[in-house]
Formats: sequence, structure tokens, C-alpha cells
Amino acid sequence: MDVNETAPPSDARAVVLVIDADKSFVKTCRQALEGEGYKIIVSPSGKQGLEAAKAEAPGVVLLDWKAADPSDIAGFDLLDELVDVNSDIVPVVATADATVDAAVEAMKMGVFDFLSKPVSPEKLLETVRQAVGISEMQREAETKEEKADKYDLLLEGLDVLGEAYSIGLEKRQFLDDLARLENVAKSNAASRGEAKTREEAIAEIHDDLLDADAIMWNYDFQKNALIQILLDVQEKFRWLPRHILNWISGRLNIPLKDILVIANFYEAFSTEPRGRHTIQVCTGTACHVRGATETLTRVSAALGIQPGETDAKQRFTLETVHCLGCCALAPVVQIGSQYYRDPSQSQLAKLINSLEGAGGAEEATTGKEA
Amino acid sequence: MSRIATPGDLVKLRDRLNAKRNAKATWLAVCAGTGCRACGAMALADKFEEEIEKRGIGDKVGVRRTGCHGLCERGPMVMVQPAGESYFGIHPENVPAVLDQVETGKGDVEQFRYLDEEGGKRVSKLSDVPFYKHQNRVLLENNLWGDASSIEDYIALGGYSALAKALTEMTPDAVLNEVKEAKLRGRGGGGFLAGRKWESVRKAEGEPKYVIVNADEGDPGAFMDGSLLEGTPHSVLEGLILGAYAIGAAEGFIYVRQEYPLARKHAQLAIDQAREYGLLGEDILGSNFSFDVKIHRGAGAFVSGESSALMSAIEGHVGEPRPKYVHTSEKGVWGKPSCLNNVETWANVPHIINKGAAWFKGMGTAESTGTKIFSLVGKVKNTGLVEVPMGITLRDIIFKIGGGVPAGKQFKAVQTGGPSGGVVPEALLDLPVDFDELTKVGSMMGSGGMIVMDTNTCMVDTARYYIRFLAHESCGKCVPCREGTRQMLNILDRIASGEGREDDLGLLEELAEFMQAASLCALGQSAPNPVASTLKYFRDEYEEHIREKRCRAGVCTALIAYEIDQSKCKSCGACQRACPAGAIDKGGKDGKVFTVVQEKCIKCGACFSACPDKFNAVTKVPALSIKR
Ligand SMILES: Cc1cc2nc3c(=O)[nH]c(=O)nc-3n(C[C@H](O)[C@H](O)[C@H](O)COP(=O)(O)O)c2cc1C
Repeated sequence: MDVNETAPPSDARAVVLVIDADKSFVKTCRQALEGEGYKIIVSPSGKQGLEAAKAEAPGVVLLDWKAADPSDIAGFDLLDELVDVNSDIVPVVATADATVDAAVEAMKMGVFDFLSKPVSPEKLLETVRQAVGISEMQREAETKEEKADKYDLLLEGLDVLGEAYSIGLEKRQFLDDLARLENVAKSNAASRGEAKTREEAIAEIHDDLLDADAIMWNYDFQKNALIQILLDVQEKFRWLPRHILNWISGRLNIPLKDILVIANFYEAFSTEPRGRHTIQVCTGTACHVRGATETLTRVSAALGIQPGETDAKQRFTLETVHCLGCCALAPVVQIGSQYYRDPSQSQLAKLINSLEGAGGAEEATTGKEA
Repeated sequence: MSRIATPGDLVKLRDRLNAKRNAKATWLAVCAGTGCRACGAMALADKFEEEIEKRGIGDKVGVRRTGCHGLCERGPMVMVQPAGESYFGIHPENVPAVLDQVETGKGDVEQFRYLDEEGGKRVSKLSDVPFYKHQNRVLLENNLWGDASSIEDYIALGGYSALAKALTEMTPDAVLNEVKEAKLRGRGGGGFLAGRKWESVRKAEGEPKYVIVNADEGDPGAFMDGSLLEGTPHSVLEGLILGAYAIGAAEGFIYVRQEYPLARKHAQLAIDQAREYGLLGEDILGSNFSFDVKIHRGAGAFVSGESSALMSAIEGHVGEPRPKYVHTSEKGVWGKPSCLNNVETWANVPHIINKGAAWFKGMGTAESTGTKIFSLVGKVKNTGLVEVPMGITLRDIIFKIGGGVPAGKQFKAVQTGGPSGGVVPEALLDLPVDFDELTKVGSMMGSGGMIVMDTNTCMVDTARYYIRFLAHESCGKCVPCREGTRQMLNILDRIASGEGREDDLGLLEELAEFMQAASLCALGQSAPNPVASTLKYFRDEYEEHIREKRCRAGVCTALIAYEIDQSKCKSCGACQRACPAGAIDKGGKDGKVFTVVQEKCIKCGACFSACPDKFNAVTKVPALSIKR
């Protein structure tokens, strides 16, 4: 491939990032590649390399398997993070530590080539050329994929329709069910006050249902594992959303009302959305005789919600719990994985504030708990 | 690790493991039970490992994260093994001192030794600490000496030798007979003879048969079962396998309460390890006997601990009890014969098989044999987990082991048996702990919760606490329990808020009788116990609430108010800062001292706790004395 020919539009793709503290290797890179029109960026550490990957969007990255500085990010972890920054990046490893195991491992992680140092300039150029080629192909494929055209979709639609007929599902019913799911998706997004595009809302419910399937899968879709499945759903979503219960009801062929009976019977389940943080006040007997009632009144006043309630912004849920098994700390309050013996008013205020900070950040990055 | 194929292999493995354990001269056993974890025990253990590596003494000193040591009040704690020296209230910054002591005998550790208040002396050995001296620790011993998540430690300490013995030397009948002969009674509350239950399941028609561990531990003031399962899960599992062998069961369940994540994790780990070692699964120890176990998580319902309810929960249904004429030993899980026993009951079995029924009967009383674990909590100095021989008096447990109530307060009563039990007053403290004796005085052994109460505990409030719990937990299937608990709660709420009527006590007694006679399961039948026993021994307190609108313990919030003594207040403002309701202002004496604005007060007691001891200006007074 002639790089110069495609230079203007694919300028970014011709960028090669070298994450290596090894000076002689860096020199080889410059000699072998710069003359051929590639733009070389050098970062002596993994951390700086990540920054550079964000700023410069290189198509190919050359990295050593081992870091010079043990506290630096390297190897697997570095690869992971690089891929997070840009999933199209094509990684090439060049290392003096080239064991077969490491090579196998690296290839499994999608490394394009594994070179043993010292590398000759010819070999280096050859490898980088191929890697850049791959990187360009990937990008092209992706732009195509991003804008699936109507005619491709029709083909896929025919496929789906055919399959629906093959299991005796009428088009009308199929479309109704689909529409229902879409409505749930939209109303879910709306009820959280989040302005989502239709596509986003649908992608979200799609993920939710996949999560529910993964949970049921663990129990071989057995009816009698219902309680265990619901416990996992509760853990994953922090409550039992109705659309998930409907889905489970369909998948396991259990009437929704039977599922709701169980959801309402057991303490562990919540059919209302819950806060990102749960504050538990132990009201076991030992805590009770040591003043848990007063503690609960104070915590409730500090949070501004009653036991069992979640605040309007879904930050906190206040709960009572019977015996956490650390009676020596009575009366005890559990926040996250931490236990506090009868926290004072100022301690509580501080704790709540620190959670709020964490909650805010979480909200900003993911919007919901992963 | 490959499978252990024969009992001989097990012995060889044990020797190897012991050699490995003995290769290090010293082990630091850090208590990693839930209680000590809550105080930072895991960080402590990590710090020990870090410091050991730094000092380069890893070949001589090792760290174990063990189950609950028992004396939760003084945690986090560490025991130096095998010497037996113990240090209490140890935090990461104290790690160098302990290691200095281990290395040179010259560490600055005196302050961390147990202070014996009576002799005023420091005690260095765990076995000399009064809390431990009067116990008889059989089941809890492994909690001290083995890493809670290690099957190797369990095997090294003699674990699975009972199973090997049973599978090679004993027929299922012989195992069953040994348990019958030992007169082991169920530790889950009822005290039913385990051997008899096993026998009826064995004889019942239907295959497969199931054995089940009840680790639901619904008693809201108890953590014995959780601590056993968390600290020495293999002993419960070994007991279960032995039971399965005796009964002829091929499958088992451990039903673990949702609120015990650590117990669940360790139980799962134990199952996985046992399977890997060939102690569960096909052809155990080459004996042809096959058995496997699954964990079932509870979802939080007290009634689910009841046997028929628990079994329906395992089937994936709502955990409601069934009428008792259908015995679960004949028709249990999926209509098959099923044997349900409590965690502690199962944990006793390996010891009985190893040491024999005669040894077991050597502990306890004629009809209540062996030991019993209690969680001793509430207004007692040494909060913790204790194991005592049956027949010991309540007084010995509370005063000799528990150290009595904290300074300045007076003992009032002890509650045993959880929500199904009752209170025992001072006058009856010399009662031996025995299934039948406790029932006679209106309480019960229960699963082992023991809540000590002092003069600051209100008996009306105590009854109300349990009834509120039971009204909430009643499954609602039968009327006597559902309506009975609700009406009792109404009446008790009324009394506690000063609206009680003269005939309320009679009404309570009537309700109690009706519920005992007519309820479907033991939840409803025993629900009146907390009311009946407090009424029996502390009727005057009820009468005071009704007639004088007074709560002498200062607990019932409607009957008390907080006041600031104008002459004692030094205007430090601690109360005002602590008040979450903005109910304290400088309205006192010329605007100089603080007062409580009664209309705003939510009675949370924050001011009371915040007022410095040296001023003691905030007081609780009867609500009636406050002029509105
Ligand atoms: C409402 C109710 C709750 C119970 N909760 C428990 C429990 O949490 N743990 C337990 O071991 N037994 C509990 N039991 C007792 C069980 O029904 C059953 O008798 C016991 O598990 C049998 O084991 P054992 O004979 O070894 O004691 C409960 C009983 C009732 C009526």
C-alpha cells in the first residue's frame, strides 16, 4: 500500500504510537518508519502512552510487554486500556522477553504481531505496514456497519419473519410484542427523566433483557429456581423492574401474578426502584435494647426519608435489617460494606456527603449501575 | 489436588498438611468473623502479612484468617499459635508491636492483653481469660485454629476423619444408632431428638431422600449458626454427609439466610473444595456412597425457617408453612422424605461419630446432652459467642462468662428463645440451661439467642418489639396468627403511648390463649410467649404504663421527654449541633442556656448522648411533667 497516496484523508491512520522506554528501539522505529511517511509518537511509559492514544488517535501502537518501571501500567492491563480508548487500534508487541507463553497470551488478546527484540528495521516496516492496512480496513468496515442501509435491514427482517412463522408466531402478534417492548423502553427512559433517543432506549432494554437471560441461563431456565433467579435480578438491578419480571414470566412460563406473590412475600425483593446506596440500620434485638430506635430516628432525620423509602433522586434507600451478626457494635449502621457503631450526627452528615459525591460521579459516567 | 480415593489417602494427606502447618513456628490467627471484620480485621490481617514480608520472617511466621473467636466485644483480636497468647483491640498500627513480641519477646503489647477486672491483672493466654475459662468449646474450637476458607486446615485438624471412620467401619445403621444413643437434640429451637427424626426419614417410603441444613437463623438477636457456617463450614458439611449416609440420602441442601453473605460464600467454597477432594460426589472415599449438596439462598422471611415453609421455598414457591399432620420427614421437598436439621445440630455429628455417644452424654444433663452455643448480647460486658455444656446456669453464663451488665446499671432480665421465647427474671437465674427447664418457666431454649437486659430496658417495649417483628413476619395464611399478632400489637402500641386501658392486660392474655391453641404453625403458637412471659414477671411495669403513664426505663418515647437542666447547662452547644430536628435553642435563662423546643423534638436522644458527661445537663423526664 502506498501511504502517500491516501495521505490527506487518512492522516490519523498513519500515526504510529510507540510506548517504550528502550531508546535504541525507539531509534530503530524512527529510522525505519519516519522516512516512509508515518508519523511517530513516542511515550516512554504506559501512562503517558494512554494519554497520547487519547489525544492523537493512532491507528497502530507498538508496545513492550514489560514496563521498565514496575509501578507503570503494562502488558495485559495496558492493552485493555488502549482498547478501551480506541477499539480500532491495532497493537503490535515488541519485547526482549519473548516467551512462547507470553506470545500465545498476547495473540489471544488480539495482538497483531509479537516481535522479538532486537527487531530489524525491515521487519519492523513490514509489520507496521500490514498493521496499518488492517487498521484502515477495520475503519472502513465500521463506517459501513454504522450506517446499515434499509435494504440490508429488509433482508434481516425477512429472515426474522421467516423464523417467526416457522415457530408458529403470527406477524401481528410478533409486531405487537415488539411494539410493547419498545413502549416499555421509551417509558422507562422517560420515567427516569432522561432524554434518550429511541435507539438508545431500545439498546438499553435490549441489554436489560440479555442480562436477565444470562441470569436464567445460570439456572438452566428451571422454574423451581425462580427465587434464586429473582435474588440475582435484585442484586443486578437493585430492584425487580416490571419489564424484567414480564420477561422472566414469559421465558419460564410462570404466570406474572405468581412471580409477584413471591416478590412481595420476601423481604429481599423490592418492586420499587431503589437508591444507589443502601443505608441499613440494624434493628436486631441486641441493637434494639441498646437504642437502635433512637439511632434509626436520627439516621432517618439526617437523610430526610423514612425507613423503607428512597429519596426522589434515587441516591439513598433507608432500610432496617434484623441482625447483621456484629452485636458487639450495637447499635450498628451499615453503609456499603462499612459498619458504624451508633454514628453521631456529624459523622452521619459526613458519610452521607461522601456518598453523594460518589453517587453523582457514577450517575455522570454510566447513568445506571453496571 | 487430586481426589482422595481412600481413607488411607486421607491419613497420608493429613500428615503432609500437618507437616506443612508445623513448618512455621508461629501462626497469627486473626479473627475474621463478621463482627471483627466490621471492625477492620481484614485490613489487620493484610497488614500482618505485609509486615512479615518486610521483615523477611515469612518462613517462620504465618497468618490465618479464622472464624469468629467469640469475644466480639474486644475485637479485632489475634491469637498467637500454638502458644495461645491473645491480643485484643489490635489495629494495623499495632502490628509491629505484636511482631516484635513474636520475634524477640520484647514487644510493647501489655496494653493489648486482656485486663481481668477482678484481679486487676493482665491475662496473656486466651484459655485464662474468664470469658473462655468457663466455656466448653467443642464446636467452636476449629474457629480458633483453622483458616475459615481452607479445607486443608480442616483436614489437618482432624476433619473428615469421622466420615472416613463411618464409611469404612460403620454401617448406616451404626451411624444412626450412635446419634440416637447420644440423645442429640435439635439445636434449632424445638429440641426434637435428631436420631429419631433421622430414623423416620430413613424408614419413610420414597426416593430420593433429602437432607437439609437450616441456616436461616431468623432469630433477630442471634448469630451462632452464621458464625459456625462462616468459621468452620466443613464441620457442618461433614455432619450433613454423615447424616446422608445414615439416612440413605443422595442429595442435600444448605438453606442460607440472605443476610449472611460471608456464611454463604464460605459454605459454597467448602462444597467446591469437598467435591474437588472427592469428599462429595460419586463414590466418596471409595465407598460406593455418593452424595452432593447445593446451596439455596433464603430471600428474607422469618417464617421460611419453619421446616415445611423452608421446603416449599426450596421448591421455588412462597415459603409458607403447611399443616403439621403432613410430616416433612415423609413428604418434604418435592413430596420426598426430607430431613431438616439446624446448622449446629449437624456440626455436632462428626464429634459424636469420632468420640462416641458416651463421650457426648458426658456433657450436659440427662435429657439435654452435649454443649450449646449462645450469642450473648445486649446489656452485657462481654458480648460474644459462647459455647457451654447444657445444664450450666443462666447466672454463670451471664455473670461468669459475660461479666455481668456494664458498670452502673442493674440486671433486669434475660431473654432467650428469640421471638418465640420469653424473658427470665433475676429470681430464676439459677435455672439450668436445658430444653425442658427453660420451657417450664415460659421461655425456651430456642436456637441460642440470649439478650441481657438491664434496668434501662422496658419490658412493655420488649414485648412490643417482638410482637411487631412477628406481626410483620406472619405469613398471613391463618387467621389466629395474622389477626392475633396484629391485635396484640395494637394493644401494646396503645400501652406504650400512654393510652392503655385497664382491661388491656386481660385482653392480651385472652388473645395469647387463642393464638397458642389455634395457629397453624409454631410461629403463631409461640408468638404470645414474649407477651405472656413479660406479663408474668413484670406485670407492674405494664400497670405503670397504663395507670401512671410512666415508663420507668425511659424507653417508650411517647411517655418521656428530654429536658435541659438550666442550672447544669454550660452552653457548650454540643446538643444543638447534634440535634437533627433543630429542636434546641437558646431560650433558657436570659437567653444564655439551651432548652428543648418540645414541639419540634423527635426524641432521637442525640442531645442526651451529646451532652458531655461532666455536665450531664440533658435528662429524660416523664412526658407528663412537661407543661405544653
Ligand atoms: C417460625 C419459625 C422459624 C424457624 N426458624 C428457624 C431457623 O431460623 N433456624 C432453625 O434452625 N430452625 C428454625 N425453626 C425450626 C425449624 O422448623 C425446625 O424445627 C428445625 O430447623 C429442625 O432442626 P433441629 O431439629 O436440628 O433443630 C423455625 C421454626 C418456626 C416455627
